[in-house]
Amino acid sequence: MAEKKMFIDGVECPFTNERNVLEVARKNGIDIPSLCYCENLSIYGGCRMCLVETERGGLDAACSMQPRDGMKVFTHTTKVLKSRKTTLQLLMSSHRAECLTCDQSGKCKLQEYAHRYGVDDTRFEHNSYSREKIDASSPSIVRDPSKCILCGLCVRMCAEVQNIGAIDFTKRGKQALVAPGFGKKLIESNCVGCGQCAAVCPTGAITIKNEIGRFWDMLHDPNKRVVVQFAPSVRVGMAEEFGMPADTAVTGKLVTALRRLGADVVYDTNLTADLTIMEESAEFFEKVKNGDKLPLFTSCCPGWIQHVEKAHPHLMPQVSTAGSPMEMFGALIRKQFKDEDVYSVAIMPCTAKKFEAQRPELEKDGQRLIDLVITTSELNRMIKEAGMDLKCLPDSDPDDPLGDYTGAGVIFGVTGGVTEAVIRRVLADASPGTLQTIAECGVRGLEGIKAFEVSAGDLKLRIAVANGLGNADKLIAKIESGEEHFDFVEVMACPNGCIGGGGQPPASNARKAERFSAIFKEDDRLELKIPQQNPALQYVYDELMQGRAHELLHIHYPLHGDHH
Amino acid sequence: METIDYKFLDEVLEKHDSDGTKIIPIMQQVQEKYRYLPKEALTYIAKKTGLSEAKLYGVATFYSNFSLEGKGKYVLKVCRGTACHVRKSANVLNALYEATGLSDSKSTTDDGLISIEIVSCLGACALSPVVMVNDVVHAAMTPDKAKDLVAELRAEG
Repeated sequence: MAEKKMFIDGVECPFTNERNVLEVARKNGIDIPSLCYCENLSIYGGCRMCLVETERGGLDAACSMQPRDGMKVFTHTTKVLKSRKTTLQLLMSSHRAECLTCDQSGKCKLQEYAHRYGVDDTRFEHNSYSREKIDASSPSIVRDPSKCILCGLCVRMCAEVQNIGAIDFTKRGKQALVAPGFGKKLIESNCVGCGQCAAVCPTGAITIKNEIGRFWDMLHDPNKRVVVQFAPSVRVGMAEEFGMPADTAVTGKLVTALRRLGADVVYDTNLTADLTIMEESAEFFEKVKNGDKLPLFTSCCPGWIQHVEKAHPHLMPQVSTAGSPMEMFGALIRKQFKDEDVYSVAIMPCTAKKFEAQRPELEKDGQRLIDLVITTSELNRMIKEAGMDLKCLPDSDPDDPLGDYTGAGVIFGVTGGVTEAVIRRVLADASPGTLQTIAECGVRGLEGIKAFEVSAGDLKLRIAVANGLGNADKLIAKIESGEEHFDFVEVMACPNGCIGGGGQPPASNARKAERFSAIFKEDDRLELKIPQQNPALQYVYDELMQGRAHELLHIHYPLHGDHH
Repeated sequence: METIDYKFLDEVLEKHDSDGTKIIPIMQQVQEKYRYLPKEALTYIAKKTGLSEAKLYGVATFYSNFSLEGKGKYVLKVCRGTACHVRKSANVLNALYEATGLSDSKSTTDDGLISIEIVSCLGACALSPVVMVNDVVHAAMTPDKAKDLVAELRAEG
């Protein structure tokens, strides 16, 4: 087939199967503005920012226009510029602009476009924004309807990718509002706090719950010993914000940055990712031995846990009781610093972790295991606030004696990582040949659903990995209809796993692929590959747990039932 | 609070194969029975059709024909469209408000007997001004006829 090409502003732009003119333009280095378009969601065509002029002089939305061979469009004619300006002025008239103090300032697309397209704001009064109250009921995200421009990205993300539909367009005309049904607050809805809506929101209408102030207060409190852990995927969600290539893992610099911010002790959650594998695989083989109902579902993702509780409560007994790596490190910290006034902070790629940390089950021996969860995005801001250029910081190592970890822990940050770590644990062979075989068994990759088989001795295990709750629901439907059987199922609520978490800086698919490769480069760099090689585990089990491992490292949510 | 007849809901759903794309006829039939859309009914329909609660709430609040609040036994639709307006439907409306004690901020009487709704056109301009009581059209209304109408409805109870 001959190569097809179209002309954008007179520039020849080859294309193949791009879904619209907008994608063709972007692929060819021409940035057509858009506020309601996302590569992973259905096309809405509502914001009218991507209008381009056609050969016949009409204006059409580039997001809804199929590229044709020989097609000609123009992106900065008098007509287009005028239309963009009017569109922005109209949007601004119904947007409560408080740019200097808005959490989204500097990342807001409306703000960026207003500046880029030279909009003066005198044309319409800025008074028709929604007067609905801010909804801060969720521990994960904050919804401010007065800043909503009704682009519908959050609605589509929640419904199409996550299959939740916690929010939708309600009412009409001037009263139109994106909200949960029946005037509910987010916390009363079926929202699981994954934060993907905040990641696609072009303005400050949905933002991550900001707890930076509280973290600073604790760092500055001389009586508090602030102990900080950071999750596997955090290290690959920072580089691009500080002018480094997106496929860089900044582990050592991150440890230094946390110490310079004032953290007294810094740990890498990778250790308890290893520990999670030890506990979860033990639980799995116990279930196999007892002939319990399979599959066993993973339990490290709090968005997934909430989704099971709200949408598939009957499956909860099949979800592992192994605590999440964050929870487990919280438990270790409380034992390590028994009598000290410790403030336990977790840096996570995740908004749902803010919810998990507050759950009553995450209290052991009368102590909260995690006092505060700060997302990668919040930490990036704090590092900038402290005037540090991450790029220039020296590397340092986490504190002893809980500073060791293996590659199996690092890969928790991507979809399939937990499963690959489990397989490494089960096959118990760290030779390059075996590791290579595991890597190629079908577990790796960014596909939404992966299914494959692994042989372990005389056991043949059928395994599935899903990322994005919509994909998880598809998988569950297949399991429940009897179409498929699996022994082990990993689910991460966010598309691509934690590297694409709601607490990470929002990223395109291409950028997430770079984070994916950064995680495996980090795994390659580490000498130890399988969880049971972690030298700190002995200390954890013998010194810290003292026979209470199951009690302290497992979480029994109410719907888990009694039989565990 | 309304007691929901789930058997009735199941019948309506079954008739439409619990198909989410037929949500409007489903909601219309439910509204026909209850004269509004009880929240519990919508929640149930959401579960059965696989649509989200927020989506159903969105549909219910988008179309002014759907109501989420209970209505009186007699729903009076007062036409305020152009033809009726020219023939002084405003006076008819005011007479109805006066006779019932209702207003633009209170649409149903406390005894649950009468609701007043303003509609834009009932498609019966030749009979203007028009008031519909449930399914019955009352033509060429005057303020006096409006008062008589309310008295009549009260008498019937």
